[in-house]
Amino acid sequence: MMREITYTTAAREALAEEMARDPSIFVVGEGIGVRGGNFNTTQGLYELYGPMRLRDTPIVERGFVGMCTGAAMTGSRPVVDFMFFDFILDSFGELFNQTSKMQYMSSGRLKMPIVLRGCIGIGGSSATHHSGSYYPIFVHIPGFRVVMPTNPYDAKGLFKTALRGDDPVLFLEHKSLLNVKGHVPEEDYSIPFGQAAIVREGTQATVVALGSMVRLVEKASETLANEGISIEIIDPRTLAPLDIDTILQSVHKTGRLLIVDETFAPCGVGSEISSQVMEKGFDDLDAPVMRLNGLHTPTPYSPALEAAVVPNAQTILQSIRDLLAE
Amino acid sequence: MVTEIVMPRLGWTMEEGVLVEWLKNDGDTVKVGDLIFTVESDKALNEVEAFENGILHIPPDAPPPGTTIPVGGLLAYLVQPGEALPSQKSTSLASPKMAEQPSAVATSAFQSASKSNGLPAISPRARRIAHELGIEWTALTGSGRSGRIVERDVRAALQSQPSAPISTPEPQLVEISPVARRAAEELGVDLASLSAKMSGKRITREDVERAAEFRAPVSTSADEKRIPVSRIRSVIAERMSASAHTTAPVTLTTEVDATELVKLRKQLKGDSSANTRPVPSYNDLLAKLCAVALEEHPMLNARLDGDEIVMSGAAHIGFAVDTERGLLVPVIRDVGSKSLRQIAAESSVLAENARSGTLKSDVASTFTITNLGMYEIDVFTPIINLPECAILGVGRIQAKQVVIDADAEKVAIRHMMFLSLTFDHRLVDGAPAARFLQRIKQFIEQPYLWLIG
Amino acid sequence: MSEEIAKEQALTLWRQMLMIRRTEEQLAKSYAGGMIPGACHTYVGEEAVATGVCAHLRHEDAVFSTHRGHGHALAKGVPPREVIAELFGRVTGCSRGRGGSMHLFSPEVGMMGTSGIVGPCILQATGAGYSFKLLGKDNVGVAFFGDGAMNNGAFHEGLNLAAIWDLPVIFVCEDNMYATEVPFAYATKNQDVAARARTYGMPGYSLDGNDVLAVSQAASEAIQRARSGGGPSLLHCKTYRTRPHAEGMRDAGYRTPQEVESWKQRDPIVTLKAKLLAQNLAEEGDFEEIESDIKAMVDEAAEFAKNSPYPDPATATEHIFSV
Repeated sequence: MMREITYTTAAREALAEEMARDPSIFVVGEGIGVRGGNFNTTQGLYELYGPMRLRDTPIVERGFVGMCTGAAMTGSRPVVDFMFFDFILDSFGELFNQTSKMQYMSSGRLKMPIVLRGCIGIGGSSATHHSGSYYPIFVHIPGFRVVMPTNPYDAKGLFKTALRGDDPVLFLEHKSLLNVKGHVPEEDYSIPFGQAAIVREGTQATVVALGSMVRLVEKASETLANEGISIEIIDPRTLAPLDIDTILQSVHKTGRLLIVDETFAPCGVGSEISSQVMEKGFDDLDAPVMRLNGLHTPTPYSPALEAAVVPNAQTILQSIRDLLAE
Repeated sequence: MVTEIVMPRLGWTMEEGVLVEWLKNDGDTVKVGDLIFTVESDKALNEVEAFENGILHIPPDAPPPGTTIPVGGLLAYLVQPGEALPSQKSTSLASPKMAEQPSAVATSAFQSASKSNGLPAISPRARRIAHELGIEWTALTGSGRSGRIVERDVRAALQSQPSAPISTPEPQLVEISPVARRAAEELGVDLASLSAKMSGKRITREDVERAAEFRAPVSTSADEKRIPVSRIRSVIAERMSASAHTTAPVTLTTEVDATELVKLRKQLKGDSSANTRPVPSYNDLLAKLCAVALEEHPMLNARLDGDEIVMSGAAHIGFAVDTERGLLVPVIRDVGSKSLRQIAAESSVLAENARSGTLKSDVASTFTITNLGMYEIDVFTPIINLPECAILGVGRIQAKQVVIDADAEKVAIRHMMFLSLTFDHRLVDGAPAARFLQRIKQFIEQPYLWLIG
Repeated sequence: MSEEIAKEQALTLWRQMLMIRRTEEQLAKSYAGGMIPGACHTYVGEEAVATGVCAHLRHEDAVFSTHRGHGHALAKGVPPREVIAELFGRVTGCSRGRGGSMHLFSPEVGMMGTSGIVGPCILQATGAGYSFKLLGKDNVGVAFFGDGAMNNGAFHEGLNLAAIWDLPVIFVCEDNMYATEVPFAYATKNQDVAARARTYGMPGYSLDGNDVLAVSQAASEAIQRARSGGGPSLLHCKTYRTRPHAEGMRDAGYRTPQEVESWKQRDPIVTLKAKLLAQNLAEEGDFEEIESDIKAMVDEAAEFAKNSPYPDPATATEHIFSV
């Protein structure tokens, strides 16, 4: 029987295995050395690889992102561990003007093998400086791969692809998934970018779920299945590149589409999917494309307010019912 | 006061922990800051301190060391000397998690799908399927919550009326945008016939409006008769208005002495061997000499494609033919490479096919000749046959008295003819177009110039 | 050092400075003639800094530069024809027409890019130093930046990181007194840049940036130290650009003609020549020969650029990703 390990362990295994294979990989971040990472992302690695490859930094996000950009241009493969992804915001100038553009501006003569990882998402009363997601912004900018695994198997396989590639990759881990356990094989494997997973097959409506929403939608689909309603669930797994073909094929079958995303709706991933389906699958639509997003607001602290701003099992169920009633 | 000792939260993501061991015994006196038990979280082993003074009371039914307990789960109590335990039994190992809070998110509010024209709304997919199955959907009742007809309604209609009018399907699948559908209903445009012309392309509002324009009903008085626009008429209309709207046409006219051309034609006609084979007509002669002139002036044989000019390798010359059903333009391909006899043979077949309605054209013309001479027309302004650059209008040949030598005051009777060249100023300027027309004039006046090939 | 070697080295430096100067003059002329579709910031007057530092660099050493970076690219070994062609927007340019004046890339010779943003080069050079140390190479990262970068957060963050980890990085501040038109004296209370370096725990050199021999001497020492594991250094080179901030811009209102003239008197190319002549290290003929060599090279470069094709529009979205 296949072993079960947590999401965090699976991702850490990928990192450990690749660091053993490739001595040019190093990790920077706050507390990722001896401490092993606030979210245990590097636990045990410092003892193996020492300070040059597990580099604790001062609190200078712009500084170490700019530094790692220069390092990636000169033969090494940095992994930036932001801990909370919110902290990446201080380095946007470096990322958008430098990191994402170096390959293009050098006509492909420089590579940019840099992985930018961090924990995203709302939950646990983390409040507004520790709850951000921000991935739509990166999907908008040319030059980034945006990866959002939703289970341990994908976390390990996608992280391997990120660490072996030569492009800047955002590797985003939702806080609510870190302790989730799942089957992960012992042997080496990787998952290519741009291939969505059909989490559940169904016939009456397609639900594209992002990040932590996948599990909630799965739960809703079980409730609906008991009523004889068949829902197809798609997890894009990578948002850039986005596997629109799998979504289009599903919509061709079901005629109905809902996109469930914890983060904001305006100019979001759901808007993009909706637009592309309108352009390429218009005559397959039996109802307007719908989105269910978190509210467009900074994230509040109090559990009562925090819960109000994100989709949950009830609102997802209601949205699917609404879509089917259209 | 009795204080509960619970599984502490020791990190951002900690949801549960393992009670490893008690560092104090049941009944021990505990002071604030004393370490009382150890917990293993996902990260490390932690020693947990007391936040109150008191006597540790570990109830008999408390979880034993080694148990995994959710954050907030009850482990023991601190009681004050003489204080009784809480009357309730320690049932509180229930999850202390905050009750689930409701969410305020929702999908965007639905717009009503009701329509101004009284027809029901229908989804693009349902419309597609209705046409595939031959279901007349306008009479259906939509089951969508705003009354929209959706796929299931169409399929239900097929079930309830197994003999549904499959016999009268629309000629082909009508793909149409919702707004175009509404426009068609408002303007009374028949989508079946419009669809036939669209050859599989999705019908847009513009298509519908253009179709409506062609048959714009202006008046309904009794002395008028309405005839449906034929397919050929609507194609002509579309092409002509497209030409008028997109080109920058300029027409040049010149008078030509066609006496030598007339002689040439007379000789060819007079040849006895010609009885069994077609004699080149004036149009054939003109086609050939135009092909030679086009070789010298390739821009007049070009077309505009986006921001590029496409120079055609050969002159494919169309000639306008009047038929009962309307104007047709058969094409003789690569005129430059053909002999006059070949041209004559081909053109007579093409003209016949055009009149009998069996014309098949597999090549687009690059230049067109239109001849209205037989109707005693001299000068006119032809419309460019898109995507060509130019069209040559040919007037009647008429014997006239003309001045041959002004100084000698010499006059003669000559066969004169007018030529009208319309060209697209987007592609060619006036002077080069004029030079081209002048060259044709020379060729007509001196046929040997082009007959030598 | 034998006199012969001293002469040889001095003339090599002089040749390099002249090559930069003549290329810049060609670019200024081409800009005026409409051959350069975008911006053009020349390095005229500051040639001694790039020349003195790059004289000690290898192709494998990584240079990260600024918006005023033609001189750095040329000194690092990018041929004039590739720089001129790049500014002309041609496919033969060092960035294949993707960059222009502010994005000169030639990783083959260790030119890791000029930049339109002030500051990032300091961090990237630090990262190159990190790479070299991690991979066990004895190469160095070099950041060139102006006085305008001195108060940017990147300066503080980059110098501190290089210092705490003893990275092989050379920070070269080209203090030409103005950030575009804002005086350094206005923007900075304490203008002793070398002293700032020392507060981060690294050596700081205060140098006459118009004296190529002085710059070369200090750079040699700093680079040597970095290569042998001695950590970063900062060179503060006081210099001056004698042309406007950018070609086509006015050059008045923020500095006086007298000031410009006084710096022209201190032109690094003129002063080195005078010095070598005075010390009898070289003769007029040596310079004439170099002059005519360089002229031929730059003329050919401009001709090459002018005759080069533009990039194929169909390639506009290539190289965003590695695959």
